[in-house]
Amino acid sequence: MTEKILTRNFGRADSHTLAVYRETGGYKALDKAAAMQPAAIVEEVKKSNLRGLGGAGFPTGMKWSFIPRGHTGPVYLVVNADEGEPGTFKDRYLLERDPHALIEGMIITARAIRSALGFVYIRGEYVEPWRRFSTAVREAYEAGYLGRGFDIVVHRGAGAYICGEETGLISSLEGLKGWPKLKPPFPAIKGAFGAPTIVNNVETLAHVPHIVNRGAEWFASLGTKTQGGTRIYSVSGRVKRPGIYETSVGITLRQLIYDEAGGVAGNGRLKAVVPGGSSAALLSADEIDVTMDVDGLKNVDSMIGSAGVIVFDETVSIPDALVVVARFYAHESCGQCTPCRESTGWIYKMARRIAEGHGRKEDLDTILDVAKRGAGTTICAFYDGAVGPYISYIEKFRGEFEALIPRA
Amino acid sequence: MTTGPGPTHRTPPTAQAGRAAPATIIFSPEQLAEVRRLQSLYPDKRGALLPVLHMAQDTFGHVSLEAETYVASLFALSPAHVHEVVTFYTLFFQQPKGRHVVAVCHNLSCHLAGAQRIIAHCKETLGIDVGETTADGRITLQAVECLCACEHAPMAQVDDRYELDLTPDKVGRLLAGLA
Amino acid sequence: MPRLTIDGKPIEVPAGTNIIEAARLLGIEVPHYCYHPGLSIAGQCRLCMVDLDNAPRPTIACNTQAADGMVVMTDTERVRETRRSIMEFHLINHPLDCPVCDQAGECWLQIYYMKHGLYDPRMVDDKVHKPKAVPLGPHVMLDAERCILCSRCVRFCDEITGTGELGIFHRGDHSEIGLFPGADLTNKYSGNVVDICPVGALTDRDFRFQVRVWYLDTARSICQGCARGCNIEVHTSRRRPHHAQGRRVARLKPRYHAEVNRWWICDEGRYGFAFVDDASRLTFPVRREGQAVHELLWDEAIPAVADALRRHQPDEIALLASPKMANEDLWAVRALAERLGTARVAFRVPPAAGGDQDDLLIRADKNPNTRGAELLGLDGDAAAIMADLRAGAIKCLWIFGHDVLHAAWPPAEAFEALTRAQTLIFSGTNASSVSALAHLVLPAAAWVEREGTVTNFEGRVQRFRRALDPLGAALPEHELIGRVLATLGAPVSATRAEHWFRALAAAVPAFAGMTYASIGDTGQMVSP
Repeated sequence: MTEKILTRNFGRADSHTLAVYRETGGYKALDKAAAMQPAAIVEEVKKSNLRGLGGAGFPTGMKWSFIPRGHTGPVYLVVNADEGEPGTFKDRYLLERDPHALIEGMIITARAIRSALGFVYIRGEYVEPWRRFSTAVREAYEAGYLGRGFDIVVHRGAGAYICGEETGLISSLEGLKGWPKLKPPFPAIKGAFGAPTIVNNVETLAHVPHIVNRGAEWFASLGTKTQGGTRIYSVSGRVKRPGIYETSVGITLRQLIYDEAGGVAGNGRLKAVVPGGSSAALLSADEIDVTMDVDGLKNVDSMIGSAGVIVFDETVSIPDALVVVARFYAHESCGQCTPCRESTGWIYKMARRIAEGHGRKEDLDTILDVAKRGAGTTICAFYDGAVGPYISYIEKFRGEFEALIPRA
Repeated sequence: MTTGPGPTHRTPPTAQAGRAAPATIIFSPEQLAEVRRLQSLYPDKRGALLPVLHMAQDTFGHVSLEAETYVASLFALSPAHVHEVVTFYTLFFQQPKGRHVVAVCHNLSCHLAGAQRIIAHCKETLGIDVGETTADGRITLQAVECLCACEHAPMAQVDDRYELDLTPDKVGRLLAGLA
Repeated sequence: MPRLTIDGKPIEVPAGTNIIEAARLLGIEVPHYCYHPGLSIAGQCRLCMVDLDNAPRPTIACNTQAADGMVVMTDTERVRETRRSIMEFHLINHPLDCPVCDQAGECWLQIYYMKHGLYDPRMVDDKVHKPKAVPLGPHVMLDAERCILCSRCVRFCDEITGTGELGIFHRGDHSEIGLFPGADLTNKYSGNVVDICPVGALTDRDFRFQVRVWYLDTARSICQGCARGCNIEVHTSRRRPHHAQGRRVARLKPRYHAEVNRWWICDEGRYGFAFVDDASRLTFPVRREGQAVHELLWDEAIPAVADALRRHQPDEIALLASPKMANEDLWAVRALAERLGTARVAFRVPPAAGGDQDDLLIRADKNPNTRGAELLGLDGDAAAIMADLRAGAIKCLWIFGHDVLHAAWPPAEAFEALTRAQTLIFSGTNASSVSALAHLVLPAAAWVEREGTVTNFEGRVQRFRRALDPLGAALPEHELIGRVLATLGAPVSATRAEHWFRALAAAVPAFAGMTYASIGDTGQMVSP
């Protein structure tokens, strides 16, 4: 069993307080980081193979290195705490149970990217996590960790999944609708309020103090060849013990379901698994011997995404599940670009019609064709995320859909 | 560039759902000072728009067109631009809402755990459809997308709180307990 | 200056040029909806996809700047397929009711569907319904179902007028453009949102349902509404006169000029043509004797004018020209003054109210040719002429168009002056309180009914062209003055506007060397 790093304090009483955080070694990495040149911190994080844990899995150190050299104006550090990917709930735990880990990670990251101001964008529905984290920020100010060259503004969202997309988040932080921005320019060049900006996920930054404390090699050794460390898997659906599980990113999906989460609930027979939040392509029961790192899931044409695992037992109707998923993407499409705005609604209508027994035999191919044609044509990754389930649900369980379509 | 303590140095305002809207849409001097403080936290004051809209909703009960116009004036924005923002986000209510908002998640994990039964039970108990408010103004019922507490599916958000591992019985007791 | 290749053709473009503009320079059209060269890049419509040599999939051309060595392909199989897909997405929720849509014939959904779409429709589910026929203000009508959410109109109000009236509300396929509830689109440039709307979502309340656009004819012209001289097109409807109750000018549209008006015109100019087909138009010459009014033929009217002028001593005659007249007319006025031997020539009549002006296009001076009138030496003292008329020193006055009874002058004094004239000649397009007092009334052609040039406030001489025949017997002022001059025995060789322009260019240093050909479509600055 892997050592718990991010969740090591979750079981302790008052784990969210500064006192407990300090008692368990918290804020020790600050001194070490203070003695390092910013470039050396970036280098260390690069070597650690830490990859973004919000969804895209981009190498974190490399992202930091995109801030233009010699830039003298403000640089912003933005933390994406707009957790919203269906099936994911790890950042809620981090904000509620170990908020100081994020604050310490932010302070070190700010040094690495030479930022004096950080924003933490917390989804609007997360009222309790917002209060907990806000209290921790206050404690950190009072203890002098913040306010000396680095400040944190805690920002509440207002209900929009798209604000979890990093440029949608930036738009929202700027007081706009959460419409993602055209790239180029990328946020590291021109991000929040027009300044170079690094957007990182909560969990990603919570790892940073540990990497500084214990070294890149240690962190890298915890994971796979291309991704270091542990991560927190959110497991829900038809498992016996739904919850969060911190393990090496080298764990397989089978181990996660059966060894960690206690196996399949419901009728006990596995039908399919959403491996990385609802935007990840569905895996069938025979596809679960994959490592739960970025590359492991890529190899089976899915993605690790936010590591939100939703387990379907054999009693689950895939067509019904597709209606739920399609409704979600239709509801959350921001409406900015045409392929996504128009086809998420259309596909939802078709999926619902099929599930209600009014499907036509060409509908399934229409959904597949529309999804494939729209993929890769939009401003942000939202639509590609919708396409993952549209295609995989139908292609892997086509018979189940066809059985619902009345014969002419 | 902003310095100094973040907005977290104040006690977060609690939602005052269902409070009757004041006759005139106007912030108190203390609230106006808070607006200016929030605006000063961002490199461009517009960054404070969402926080101030939250404040407006907490104060006035919902974000009416009048409130949008008022907030627009505090940011020197066109009301249309504030209306864009208010209509984009799900947490802003454009119409008066109930004293309590019961938002039942119906996304994937909650769906697998019987969210539809929970929603049906709420509809039946309250005698209203999703999106409606009881005639006595007590409860607004919503079906919402993933609230990210899937390990406790089915779940709902009731005002500021997450209510977890719901059953029809549990949700019935919950609704009964909302004044 | 990056050099790149588009569809195999090399081109060098200024740094910062995007692929749509670079391709345009080669005559290659990259289809697009949301991109507009006068607005910021939105990248929303996703139609302008092209293949770049090194890209794994098609890229939007609007947000891609030309780079050295770039190889762009706008017509690969993959690009064509992508366009077909994007066209289908645009039309999923679009009503298929082109026959009753006013945009038909100039709709980019129709045009691009025919060129890049041509797929078999497969949407059988209910379309999203949105508000229809919503007046957005005095000039613009919205059909939200026809809108493709390109955001051009929103960006126009944000970036060009800075008024921000429009927004895109809600999200997903329920997104819709609109105004803040209860507000109106009343900025002074609102009509431009109709021009830049690529589909039938925003239509012109004045124009819609008058006539199908394919029955329109077009003439290049210059707006006469103020001293800016915005370049425009006059769209006329003569082929289906019964469609618009005989209204001939269907609409005015801006015509791009990089330095004058870019893509825009103001509403005042756009809708300032109603006088052309108004019932008050003067359509035949008139002689008034006491209460008696006699309609004349030009063959009677011209000698009557000449006779009247001959009856007065040169210093008893004054000519009140107008800065609304073309350079050619003004030069004819000057020739007339010289022939008559009078120095009492002026053109400035102060308006009753000061004109509004802004930083975009609108000029306080509501006359198209003040600068021309100055350069052509007609800048006398109009108030003194009126005073001398009232005092009896001037006995004959020819007023060109001005309504001196509704100017900044005391109306009673102006009225007294006019009634004391022994001979009052009025020429103009429409009847007015002045024409009602004149002894001789000469109908002038409106600017859309003739050729001419005007000189804008910056000194740019620009041509406007004839879009319509003059109404009734109306004549361009240079022509009717020319006929009077000939009757007075002057050696007049000019008959057409271009002849008059040639004459003034030969005589006035500011216009030296200028010809209609050299003015062309972009105008020419006067010599300093």
